[in-house]
Amino acid sequence: MPAILTRAIVMLLLTGYTAFAAGPFVWAAMMSLRTTTEISRNHFGLPFPPHWEKFGQAWFNSNYSVYFTNSAYVVVTAVLVLTIVGAMAAHCLSRYRFRGNRFIYFLIFSAIIFPPQITIIALFQTLVTYGLYNNLAGLTLVYIALQLPLTVYILESFFARIPSDLFDAARMDGYSEWAIFWKVSLPIALPALATTVILNTILLWNEFLYAVVLITDEAKRTLPLGIQRFMGDQLEDVGMIATGLMIAIIPIVLIYAFFSEKLIQGMTAGAVK
Amino acid sequence: MNRNTERPPWASIIVFLLPALVIYTALTAYPVVRTFWNSLHKVLPNRPDEFVGLANYATLLFTDDIFWRSVRNTLVWSVASPLFEVGMALLLALALYAKVPGARFFRIAWFTPVLMSYVVVGILWVWIYNYDWGAANASLRFLGLDSLTRAWLGNPQTALPALIFITSWMWTGFNMVVLLAALHSLPSEVIEAAELDNCGWSAKLWHVIIPLIKPTLLNLLVLSFIGKMKIFDLVWITTKGGPLWSTETVSTYLYKRAFEWSTFDLGYPSTIAAVWFVIIMSCVLGLTRLLRSRDRLEY
Amino acid sequence: MATLTLDRLSKRYTSAQEVAVTDVSFTVADGEFMVLLGPSGCGKSTTLRMVAGLESITSGTLLIDGARMNDRPAKDRDIAMVFQSYALYPHMTVYDNLAFGLRRRSMPGSEIARRVRDTATTLGLDPLLQRKPHALSGGQRQRVALGRAIVRDPKVFLFDEPLSNLDAALRVGMRGELSALHRRLSATMLYVTHDQVEAMTMGDRICIMQGGNVAQIGAPLDVYAAPANTFVATFLGSPAMNLLPATLGPNRDVLHIGTQALQLSGALADAAVRAPSNDVLFGIRPEDIHSGSGYATLRACVLDVEPLGAETIVRLAPEGTSAEMLMRVPRTFSGRPDEIATITIDLAASHLFDPASTRRI
Repeated sequence: MPAILTRAIVMLLLTGYTAFAAGPFVWAAMMSLRTTTEISRNHFGLPFPPHWEKFGQAWFNSNYSVYFTNSAYVVVTAVLVLTIVGAMAAHCLSRYRFRGNRFIYFLIFSAIIFPPQITIIALFQTLVTYGLYNNLAGLTLVYIALQLPLTVYILESFFARIPSDLFDAARMDGYSEWAIFWKVSLPIALPALATTVILNTILLWNEFLYAVVLITDEAKRTLPLGIQRFMGDQLEDVGMIATGLMIAIIPIVLIYAFFSEKLIQGMTAGAVK
Repeated sequence: MNRNTERPPWASIIVFLLPALVIYTALTAYPVVRTFWNSLHKVLPNRPDEFVGLANYATLLFTDDIFWRSVRNTLVWSVASPLFEVGMALLLALALYAKVPGARFFRIAWFTPVLMSYVVVGILWVWIYNYDWGAANASLRFLGLDSLTRAWLGNPQTALPALIFITSWMWTGFNMVVLLAALHSLPSEVIEAAELDNCGWSAKLWHVIIPLIKPTLLNLLVLSFIGKMKIFDLVWITTKGGPLWSTETVSTYLYKRAFEWSTFDLGYPSTIAAVWFVIIMSCVLGLTRLLRSRDRLEY
Repeated sequence: MATLTLDRLSKRYTSAQEVAVTDVSFTVADGEFMVLLGPSGCGKSTTLRMVAGLESITSGTLLIDGARMNDRPAKDRDIAMVFQSYALYPHMTVYDNLAFGLRRRSMPGSEIARRVRDTATTLGLDPLLQRKPHALSGGQRQRVALGRAIVRDPKVFLFDEPLSNLDAALRVGMRGELSALHRRLSATMLYVTHDQVEAMTMGDRICIMQGGNVAQIGAPLDVYAAPANTFVATFLGSPAMNLLPATLGPNRDVLHIGTQALQLSGALADAAVRAPSNDVLFGIRPEDIHSGSGYATLRACVLDVEPLGAETIVRLAPEGTSAEMLMRVPRTFSGRPDEIATITIDLAASHLFDPASTRRI
């Protein structure tokens, strides 16, 4: 078969697959700009005219602003604390030799494959006991613990690759261990830190299981919960749900638009052998 | 950092490690232990835990049909999905590897499904699978294949495959990106040597390329397997385990028993969690041991 | 075995504007060992890969045994290549690495077995046949790469800097073995390297490349004795040839170096007459300068003395100039830094170069 023909067929298949992969989102995006009445007439029509005001409606009238802010509050706090705590632990585990170092690392690392089911019931019990149930602060704490193993794993391997000479030089210059962490390790590890921040933000923004178990108050729902409730309540208001979906994925799309390379590398790095 | 002769700076170590260890112990390690503890008790609200020994385990393993049904569903999912996701991804990666124009665009486009919350994905696909106006049946009708239209999520026979299809749709892009990176990291001179050794495209693929990316392929299969064993969000949004337990997974069953059904006993669901935990960890250990290549593919 | 002819071979990469290789032409006779020599980036590897079929040819013709190869895929050119990184198949045993190419060409099993065993014995690989590449040392891997080429019995052998990944001692040994192999097989070989010692010792002829162009082609000792330009002159030989800025007298019979003058005669005088201008570069190799008085002498200030045992390298600056030159003296040298020494130039072995074109006059 001539090379041009094979090329054309391959391109056709690839474009077809792209339509398959991106299709659902494009469809949802179109529906988010059409009213439910328009949609019922033709589910696959183009948004003419585009009803931008629906986004305003979703935000103000359907509690989306509440869900969005709750998610933002929880995710930003969790990621902030997570990054610092995780970096401290990773720095320590990668650079200091002491008995039990590998044991602790292994404990934390193995938690990456723990199924959430093994902790969810007991976490529920614990949070109830300490009055943190149905509480955004409680959820934030759980989120920190949830992503800690992955963060430590990614940062530890990065910190370990920093040449020791830098640390020796800093010590000779009189820096304390804490100063070394802040002034040597962290700045150099900025790329890896950025990766974990982006990764954790996306994973926690989308997190559903823990949220659905630990939050019941309408006013405290995070975005995934909000959307789900929407689905149940207003099953037929496809237009509004679509708009809500778009609001939910906008932060992700923004992050992806600016950091696609970093994000892809961060999420896939562990899998390439 | 500190050579073997120096004593480790314990004060610093504690300062650095303590916050993480406190969080880990309180919110990860302790809950695991507590769950196992729960599994040996009847845990009712406002009452002290009642020790029941292995009674929960006995009930679970010998009489709980729903549990076993959910195990079967989850295992089917965990075995079928990886095969689709990785197989399809390999084909796509090879297509891009052959320096197709627009490779960068394709890579970014195909990766997007992975970034979305399962909630969003779930809702989208509930719509796609809608019998009357969903894209799935609409396409079939468009192609004149009306007889193939189904109530995909409402039919016990098609519900699980429909869900498996969704996760494949999500994760194929991710696997493809990983495989593409693996392909690009292959030493070009070995491939050129194969060309000189009279290898056409398919021979190169079969004899050289695939054997060399085997570690990555296996890695992806294991990762996918683990992911499907844990799945909850997608099922909860789309079918909640129905119809008729056909999509009930261990995680949805556990959730129902712990938080929805009015039994209030947290001991039994903890047993489910404990058993499932042991099963997953054994599978992972077994798989990695089994699939670990004897040889180091050093190049 | 076969003849290999490159006729004005050029390579331009579509992405870059520059040309990687320009008009390379030479013929490697049947059974000849031709070395492509040059610094990194001179285009020698690109040329080799064009011959192999791993790079496309932008213009020019490639002939093997008279047949045009430009559009033939690499596998159909009946060539074998030894890569710099050996490029062994990591997941196959040594035996399979050797047999792979033959199996892909549907050779009968008995023939494959025979060839593999013969080659293995020749290269001393018999005890290693069941091992995988990661269990071999660098030298062993190199032999397997060599064996993979030999077992194919190709028309032309191509080598892409095969010795550069070996340590120095191993390299010396392998040089001898490769030469012996060449003699035994009487094979046509094209060998790329940046190491001039390999080129001088192994090549029947060498082709020196610079910036994508051929600088000079010839037998090693011929090129050494009569370099075509300053680049070749300083590339071959270690320590490199001295190039001193000098001026010719009005009658072109005297050469002024610094404040001193040398009377010219013989071939050098003829060259002086041909010079395009009075400014020239005077080239003389360190081993052609002797300590003491003689026919053509210079006075020079000793800057540095480096005794190496078997010889001594002396760095000097001729009186009246700050240009430095190196002199090789057998055994020891009696002079000391900051002393003035008298040195004798062997005019018959000197050259004049035109500074503008860098060509030898």
